[in-house]
Amino acid sequence: MKEFQVDVAVIGGGPAGLAAALEARKQGIEKVLLLERDTSLGGILQQCIHDGFGLHRFNARLSGGQYAQRFIDQLDGSGIEVKLDTIVIDMTDEKVIYACNPTDGMMRIQCGAIILAMGCRERTASQVLIYGTRPAGVMTAGAAQRYINMEGYLPGKNAVILGSGDIGLIMARRMTLEGIKVKGVYEVMPNPGGLTRNIVQCLDDYGIPLHLSTTVTRIEGKERVERVTVAKVDEKRNVIPGTEEVIDCDLLVLAVGLIPENELSRQAHLEMDRKTRAPLLDNNFMTSCPGIFAAGNVSVVFDLVDYVSLSGEIAARGAAKYLAGKLPEHPQYRTVTHSDRINFIVPQRVELSADEDLTFFMRVTAPYKNARLVGKCGETVICNKRHQAMVPPEMLECTVKVAPQQEIYFSVEEG
Amino acid sequence: MIEAINALLRSEFPDERITAQIDERNIVTLSGECSTWAVLIQIGHAVAKIPGVRNVVSDMTAKGVEIPKKDYTPVVEEGRRIGEVDSADVVIVGAGVSGCGIARELARYNLKIVVVEKGDDVASGASKANNGDIHPGHAVKPGTLKAKLNVRGNRMYTQWAKDLGFELQRCGSLKVVTSEKLVPEIEKMYAVAVINGVDGARLVRGDEIAQIEPRLGEEMEKAGVKPVLGLWLPSFGLVEPYDVVVALAENAAENGVHFRLNCTVGDVLTENGQVTGVVTNQGIIRAKYVINCAGVYADEISEMAGDRCYTIHPRKGTIAILDKSAPPLYNALAGFATGNEVVLKKNVESKGGGMCRTPEFNILLGPSATEVPDKEDVETTAEDLRYAMSRNSNPYVGTGDIIKIFAGSRPADFKEDFVIEMSDKTHGFINVGAIQSPGLASAPAVAEMACGILLGDLQEHDAFPSVNMNFNPIRKRRVEFRHMTNEQRDELIRRDPRYGRIICRCEQITEGEILDAIHSPIVPGSIDAIKRRTRAGMGRCQGGFCQPRVLEILARELGKDPTEITLKGEGSNVLLCESRSKVNEGGADK
Repeated sequence: MKEFQVDVAVIGGGPAGLAAALEARKQGIEKVLLLERDTSLGGILQQCIHDGFGLHRFNARLSGGQYAQRFIDQLDGSGIEVKLDTIVIDMTDEKVIYACNPTDGMMRIQCGAIILAMGCRERTASQVLIYGTRPAGVMTAGAAQRYINMEGYLPGKNAVILGSGDIGLIMARRMTLEGIKVKGVYEVMPNPGGLTRNIVQCLDDYGIPLHLSTTVTRIEGKERVERVTVAKVDEKRNVIPGTEEVIDCDLLVLAVGLIPENELSRQAHLEMDRKTRAPLLDNNFMTSCPGIFAAGNVSVVFDLVDYVSLSGEIAARGAAKYLAGKLPEHPQYRTVTHSDRINFIVPQRVELSADEDLTFFMRVTAPYKNARLVGKCGETVICNKRHQAMVPPEMLECTVKVAPQQEIYFSVEEG
Repeated sequence: MIEAINALLRSEFPDERITAQIDERNIVTLSGECSTWAVLIQIGHAVAKIPGVRNVVSDMTAKGVEIPKKDYTPVVEEGRRIGEVDSADVVIVGAGVSGCGIARELARYNLKIVVVEKGDDVASGASKANNGDIHPGHAVKPGTLKAKLNVRGNRMYTQWAKDLGFELQRCGSLKVVTSEKLVPEIEKMYAVAVINGVDGARLVRGDEIAQIEPRLGEEMEKAGVKPVLGLWLPSFGLVEPYDVVVALAENAAENGVHFRLNCTVGDVLTENGQVTGVVTNQGIIRAKYVINCAGVYADEISEMAGDRCYTIHPRKGTIAILDKSAPPLYNALAGFATGNEVVLKKNVESKGGGMCRTPEFNILLGPSATEVPDKEDVETTAEDLRYAMSRNSNPYVGTGDIIKIFAGSRPADFKEDFVIEMSDKTHGFINVGAIQSPGLASAPAVAEMACGILLGDLQEHDAFPSVNMNFNPIRKRRVEFRHMTNEQRDELIRRDPRYGRIICRCEQITEGEILDAIHSPIVPGSIDAIKRRTRAGMGRCQGGFCQPRVLEILARELGKDPTEITLKGEGSNVLLCESRSKVNEGGADK
C-alpha cells in the first residue's frame, strides 16, 4: 500500500473542491492533493448544461461546464496534484485518508489538513414514502439529467416531476426541450422549493403547471411506470382524501431534496448538525475535528454555485491558518444564535477571539416580503440589509465584521 | 366429513352461500361468493382445519373483488408453434430457493435437468423479497411438515453456506420478557422449540441474558424494566436470501443444470396419467419428471398437470429497510417485551415479521401479512408500512432512516403447511408447493425431501441414476472488496485494476465485482440482477449515482445498446431512445 504525506487533501473535485484546492495553493500551501472519484473534474456541474452559473462571481451567465472549466484551467501549472478515478474509503480523526484507484491501488495519506467537498446526494422515492410498485421509470432528477445530458438517452416520453427544487425545475425545461411531455410539477409544500427565476424560466415560459401542496402518493405499473396518483395535502402534509387524481405517465422524476454526503464525516466522528445534516462548522468552516474542514454542499446544501466556491475558499484559508499554527489548539466558541424566522446559519459557531470579516449563510423558515436581515454582535448592529423578498429556497449571504467575545445574533425584522 | 364441513359453514358463516365438495383424496373444493376477501380466507382456513381434510381448493369469489387469472393461451400457442426444443429427465418449474436447491441436489446424479423460470433472473419471486431469517423452528406448529423441515433445514445451512460460499451469520435469537404475565408466552415458545427439536434452545435469566447480549441489559435499564425470563435460540441465522439462491443456481449450473430464464410454463403435458413435459413460451420441453416449485403460481401449474389439490392465496408482506447509518442495537435478533407493546394488526395465520437485520447490518422492519387476491400484487401501501414500522423497537431509528420499502408475496395454501409430494393423479409430477415462511430456512431439507421422492420413484422403477462423479459441491465466494483489509484490497487492485474503481459509492462495490457477476454461470441481464449479486444500488442513494454506470457496464459487457438494458427484465427498459442532441450528432458516442 502506498503511503505518503500531503499538507492539504481536498476530497472532491466539484466546485467546492476546485475552489478550495486553488485557494489553498494561493495561500502558499506547498503540497495540495485533490482527490476526485469521477474520471473528470467538475462534479455535478458536468451534467448541468443549462446556464445561470457564475452570475455573482464572474458576472456572466455560464453553463455548469463552463463555470467548472474556469477553475480547471487554473489547475495547469498550479502545482496541485490531482488524482482522478480515486475514491476515499476511510478517513480518521487523525487526518489519515485511505483511498484507492486503479493505478495506485490503496493509498494511506497522512494529511496536515483535510477539506471535505464531497457534495450531496438526492433523496429517493422510498425516503419520501411514495407507495405502490417499483417499476423502471422512477428516478431522481440528477439521474435523469445524467442520462439525458451526458449519455444522450431519454428515460421516458411523458413525465411527472415531484418536487420543485431547482434540479426538478431545470429538468422540467430540459425534458420539454427534448420532446418529453412534462405533465406537471408537484410540490408537497405550499411554496416552491426552487429559485423564483427557475420557476419563471423553466416552468412559466413553457406552460408547465406547478401544483403546490400536492404530492405523488402511489406509483402504478409493473415493468415501467404507467401512471401515478397525485393528491392534495393539508398544512401537516397529510393527504386530503378525495383529492386524488390519476395521471398517465411513463416517467416519475424526483426532485425531493438533497442530503449532504457525510459518510466520511461520520467515520471520523465529526460532530454533526441535525438541521444541516452536515458537520458543525466554525468561522473557518472547520469541523469539530481540528484540521478537518468542510465546504460546498457537504457542509450545507447551497442554492448557488458561487456560494459553493466561496465556501471552498473560506475553508482553504482556514486550512492555511491551521497549518501555520494560527488557530488555537483548543478553540473556544460562541454559538451564532438567530430568531425563529431563520432556519439555520452556517457557520454555526464562531471562535471567541475572532475579530475579522466573516461570511454567514442562512435560510429563512418562511417567505418574508420587504424585510430586513439584522445582525448584531453584542449591542452593535453589524448587518441591516433590506430584501424585497426572502424565501426559504434562497440562501442569504452576508459578510460582516465581528468583534471578539460578543454574542452574534441574526434576525429578520419587518419594515 | 362433508357433513362436518357443511355444519361448520352453517354455524360459523351463516350468511355466506358456500358449497363444498370433497373428492376421494379428501381434498375439499369450495365454491360460491363470499361477502369479502377476508371472509373467503377465513372460510378456507376453517375448512382446512377440519380433521381429515387434506387440503382446500378454492373456487370461491368475493363480492366486488376481481381475482386476476393469468391467461396462458399465448404461452401455449407460442410454445406449440416453436415445437419441441429440449428433452430432459427432470424439468423444474421455478428458480427460487426451492427450485434451485432441488436442481443442485439432483445434479449429484447423472440426470439431465432443466430449470425454467418465468422471471429474468433466479430468485425473482418470494425468494428475493423476504427478510432472510433462518428460523430455528420454534414458531411452527409441531407435527407439521414445516416443523420437521424447518429444524432440519436450519441445521443443514451450515454446510450449504460452507460449500456454496454465501454469508450465514448464526447470531442467535434472544427474546426476553420483563413482566411476569408474559412468562407463559416464553414458556409456550420454549415448549414448541423442545417438541420440534430446535437445536440449543434454552431458557435464560438475569446475568445470562446480559452475557449473551450485553446491550440488551443496558436498554432494559434505560427503559426502566428488568428481565424476568428469556428464550435463547442459538441456531437462529441470517442470510441475504438472493445470495443463497444465486449460489445454488450457479453451483447447479456449474454441475450441468441448464437454466432457461424468461421461460413461462403454459401447460404441463401428460399421457395416461404420466407427465411427459411442459409447454413454455420458449417451446416444448419433454421430461420424465416435472417438479413444481412455482411459488405463488404452484397451484396453477399443478392444475395444468391435472391435479388440483391446493389453492395458493397470496399473503403480501411489506418490508422497510433502513440505512446502515441507523444500525441495529444488537448482534443477535434480540428484544424485550414489556407487555405494553401495541400490535397494529394481527393476521390469525401469520402475524408477520418483526425487526431483524441483514448480514450487512441494515435494520429490516416487517414483513406485514396482508391477504391479497392478486398474485402479482407486490405494491407497498401506507397501511403495510405502518405495520412494519410498528415493529420497530429501536428508539434511535425511525421512518427517516428508511432507504427502501419493498413487498413480496408468500405462497400460502389453506392448510398453511408445505405440500411436497408426488402427485397421486399424475405420475412424475412432484409438487413442492405452498413453500412460504419458513421456506428459506427449510430449503435444504425441502431439496433433500423432493430429491428423495424423485430418487425413490426411480428406484422403484429400477432406474436409479448413476452418481455424477464430477459433481463439485463447492461454489467459490466472489470477491467482496468492502469486507477486505486495506492490504488485501491493495493486492487485489494490483492483480486487476478494475477492483480499484468504485462504482457504487454507498456500498463500496467495484467495477471488478460487477464484471465478476456479469461473467458468471447465470448471467445477470438486468440492473436489479446485478444489484442482487453485488449490492450495487442497494445503499442509501438507491442507485441514484451508480445506476447509469451499471447500465453502461451491462451494455458494454453484454454487447447491447443502452436502450436494451432493463431494470428487472422484459419491458422494464430504463432508457427509451436517444436524445435529440445525440441524434443530431449522428448518434455518435460521447
